[in-house]
Amino acid sequence: MDWKIRRFGQGLFTVWAVVSLTFFITRMMPGNPVDAFVAQIGPELENPQEAYELAETYMNINPEAPLHVAYRDYMISMVQGDLGRSMSQNAEVTELMAEAVPWTLFVMSWAIAISFVVGISLGAIMAYWEGSTFDTAVTGYATTVTSIPFYVLALLLLMVFGYQLGWFPTGGRQPSGVEAGFNLPFMLGMIHHAALPVFSMLVASGAASLTMRGNSVRILGEDYLRVARLRGLADRTIAVRYVARNAILPMYTGLMIAIGTMFGGAVVLEEIYTYRGMGYYMIQAVRMRDYPLMMGAFTVITIAVVIALLIADLTYGKIDPRAGGENREAF
Amino acid sequence: MTISQSAAQADRPNGDVIMELDDTSVEFGMSRGRSRVLNGVDFEVSRDEIVGVIGESGSGKSMFASAMLDAVPEPGVTTGDVTYYPEDDDPVSVTDLSKEELRRFRWEEVSMVFQGAMSSFNPVLKIRTHFVETLSAHDYNVERGLERVRELLEDLYLEPERMLESYPHELSGGMKQRVLIALSLVLDPEMLVMDEPTAALDLLMQRSIISLLHDIQDKHDLTIVFITHDLPLVANLADRLAVLYAFEFAEVGPADDILEDPAHPYTRALLNATPNLSAPLEEMRPIEGESPDPVNIPEGCSYHPRCPIADEMCRSHDPDAYDAGADHDVHCHHWEDSIENIDNALASSGSMDRSRRTAADRSADEEPVVSLDDIEVEFGSENDGLLDFGDSEIVTAVDGISLDIYQNDVVVLVGESGCGKTTLGKTAVGLQQPTDGTIEYKGRDIWEGSGNSSTLADKEIRRALQIVHQDPGSSLNSHHRVRTILETPLKRWHSDLDGNDRRERILGMLEYVGISPPEDYIDRYPHQLSGGEKQRVALIRAMLINPDLILADEAVSALDVSLRVSTMDLMIELQDVFNTSYLAISHDLSNARYFAEKTGGRIGVMYLGELVEIGSPEQIIHDPKHPYTQALRWATPELDRDEDIDDNPMRTIDVPDQTNMPSGCRYHTRCPKAREVCRTQKPELIDRSDEDGVQHTACFRALEDHEYWDSEPIAEEPPAAEETGSAD
Ligand code: SF4
Ligand code: SF4
Repeated sequence: MDWKIRRFGQGLFTVWAVVSLTFFITRMMPGNPVDAFVAQIGPELENPQEAYELAETYMNINPEAPLHVAYRDYMISMVQGDLGRSMSQNAEVTELMAEAVPWTLFVMSWAIAISFVVGISLGAIMAYWEGSTFDTAVTGYATTVTSIPFYVLALLLLMVFGYQLGWFPTGGRQPSGVEAGFNLPFMLGMIHHAALPVFSMLVASGAASLTMRGNSVRILGEDYLRVARLRGLADRTIAVRYVARNAILPMYTGLMIAIGTMFGGAVVLEEIYTYRGMGYYMIQAVRMRDYPLMMGAFTVITIAVVIALLIADLTYGKIDPRAGGENREAF
Repeated sequence: MTISQSAAQADRPNGDVIMELDDTSVEFGMSRGRSRVLNGVDFEVSRDEIVGVIGESGSGKSMFASAMLDAVPEPGVTTGDVTYYPEDDDPVSVTDLSKEELRRFRWEEVSMVFQGAMSSFNPVLKIRTHFVETLSAHDYNVERGLERVRELLEDLYLEPERMLESYPHELSGGMKQRVLIALSLVLDPEMLVMDEPTAALDLLMQRSIISLLHDIQDKHDLTIVFITHDLPLVANLADRLAVLYAFEFAEVGPADDILEDPAHPYTRALLNATPNLSAPLEEMRPIEGESPDPVNIPEGCSYHPRCPIADEMCRSHDPDAYDAGADHDVHCHHWEDSIENIDNALASSGSMDRSRRTAADRSADEEPVVSLDDIEVEFGSENDGLLDFGDSEIVTAVDGISLDIYQNDVVVLVGESGCGKTTLGKTAVGLQQPTDGTIEYKGRDIWEGSGNSSTLADKEIRRALQIVHQDPGSSLNSHHRVRTILETPLKRWHSDLDGNDRRERILGMLEYVGISPPEDYIDRYPHQLSGGEKQRVALIRAMLINPDLILADEAVSALDVSLRVSTMDLMIELQDVFNTSYLAISHDLSNARYFAEKTGGRIGVMYLGELVEIGSPEQIIHDPKHPYTQALRWATPELDRDEDIDDNPMRTIDVPDQTNMPSGCRYHTRCPKAREVCRTQKPELIDRSDEDGVQHTACFRALEDHEYWDSEPIAEEPPAAEETGSAD
């Protein structure tokens, strides 16, 4: 119980630290966004003083207020879920995010799920027939795939399947001309649009399959497996309860960390496929020097990663009995 | 071709055979050639007996165990006949069983306990699941089965409910081993094969398990095949003993005969090479040479390269079984000769005598080389700041120990694992910074001026204090040749030597420790050396630095029995040449006794971070004053069969939890002599030295007038299930 609270505290701390950091960068850095904003907007306004008020609307930071007051106000609006107002999109950042994040999650969760399922199955088969042609072939494939950066694969896929063969759309996230909602054409269109981005992320399956293979091979050599066979347990019980469970366990944390990296990957991927998810907005924001949007997207990514890791930590104890208590080393 | 006396076949224990192996071999195809790891053995196990099978590592003993269940790991191939005789049914040929029949046969008829219970359980399943799984896989009634399990666990001094609800990692090694024994008996098998079942455990736990086995065997009418490298361990458990050498049986016979009147030269040599507590040191002698490689077994008698009475016949003809008495078979052409001459032959092969010093000779006015004063070492962190909420678990590994080590001195620390002996050792050579107390090297505080860094700043002290590890393989860099390994310390500490001098010096040392031809070895990599050779190279490396004190951390326990004595002899010899002192760590009282007695050193007994008794080996072994030393003494197996092992001198088997140390005398939770005062007061080391030797004991019983004697005894219960866990 104790450590759960602790993990939660640590997660909260991380979020707080990141948000504070964005505040100080925005407010204090030389040539910081607030000053830049004021300098940019000010001359165009009749009353340059208004620039400061506008700054507060857009960024939740009042440049004139003393630092601690500005910080307090900023934190309060953050907690209230107010991430400021995007200059380029001319909309509340929170709204923009709320609209974009589900799309990103849609692509990412499929990418993660498929690549882990594929990776784990391949790895298990490889371990079972360790040394076979299949094993060698897939190991070679996995090694190659792992060493390709996903954005290269993304560009390749886009070129071949998008532009040359035309099997998949080259951009966008939903079919045009179909009414959005829970109807079949729309759903299929969504999947159709998401397919290429999802497949680009499959590079992760290479690494997963190699890890799974290694883990399984190790477990196949464990004493408890030999004892289990001697005890006469059914092959299926041994495969599922003994091998698979112990081989997948160490990958669980890896899975959660993958979520973190995939959010990072989403930024590039969505740009390549002009997929209007959160990452796409973030690039747009950078391009337009839309600081509030940028900060907002950044904060959302941080929170998402922290939540993913927190879930990983809190649930790990459920699936691995060894976790939770500190494993004190014998001396 | 083999020669045998046909009479040997006639008088086998014909009574009631439960398992018979006939010309059974196990082979592995390897790149170096076909490797026979069990070479056409014949063996019979009688119903309801305990037979001990003794073999050094690489003698084929594990394969022998697996062959009985047709469970040789792939790609090994078992040939020959393995026949199982059920009590009132037709014989079963184990090697011909179908997959399903074999699945039922194993565990229902014959089950097995492996070496290394630590890893015999699935870490993500509760202990209960392991039992339930096994029961249902064999279509046994789970409810009734669990009843039986509870009873078994209780008989093994475990709390059934707590065990069943635990995950494997929550149990200590000794508990796991006992649970594994219960698991192997859950289907009520007829026969139990145990392959080194206690190897990884502490002496006390080993001994407790052995004495429990006796009761269990009785109660369940079991036949037990107990396989081990440790002859004394089974000496008074087994009815019969069988000695394996180089994948064949050398000798099989009643335990009394084998121990008192061994006929095979190897058995005799093995008995002499086994350190124990009672035999005079002069009679302990190493066996020359090493066991053969399975790919390359010598022609004729496989023991002939090491046998002092080998002749032409031995080199050409493989001896079959000769009859050496009732039920006693020996595979040696000259067994009669062996009984008469082997000891003489061994004795003439050079006896090493040294003028013995005693601890008393090192008078108190001599200045110690290393002096520990009230050392305390704590592990585990306190809260380390902002992000660390709660969870401060501190374990005190060493608690207030003072010890002086003189020049040319030997101190051997013994105790159960977790008693802090390794931590104390590391502290003494500056590898561990104490949380409190001081360590002085020749009067200088070694940690002075080192600030908070965890390494010694002083080069001179770093040179003076060295360490030799338990596993020499891991301490030698596997990418370097022997030459490079040995040159590094020379370059560093004897920079005046040039390349040629260094080479000469290394060659000389290798030759000196019996690695020859040294020119051949100097360019080898560590993996091309045998275990004994690696240990010797590690020893030379430490010696070349010319240290004043060497910490030898279980330096011989990883070696085969036959190599232990020779390695200890070598260490002693090197001590004389280089004038060093040893601080040795051992969990084995017999080894400790050999090493300390031969050098006139001291043995220190540790319990839960404290030094409870220290003194000359004569005193510690023959007149231990502290009840814990007495328990260790009990736990150390002897070759003497008359000894009674059922009399466990401890009230509980398991060690108390380290994070929650007992108050007063820390041993009071297990001490059979404990009285009320022991709960509250802590005994100091009391000097009980006399003309026979030095001895200091931390027990009130060493004082004649102490309120202990008027205090109430702590309620006397038989060894109970553990009160406190020691799960970590
Ligand atoms: S005397 Fe001959 S047969 Fe007997 S053990 Fe020695 S070498 Fe082998
Ligand atoms: S002081 Fe008491 S508890 Fe401790 S060893 Fe002596 S008799 Fe036993």
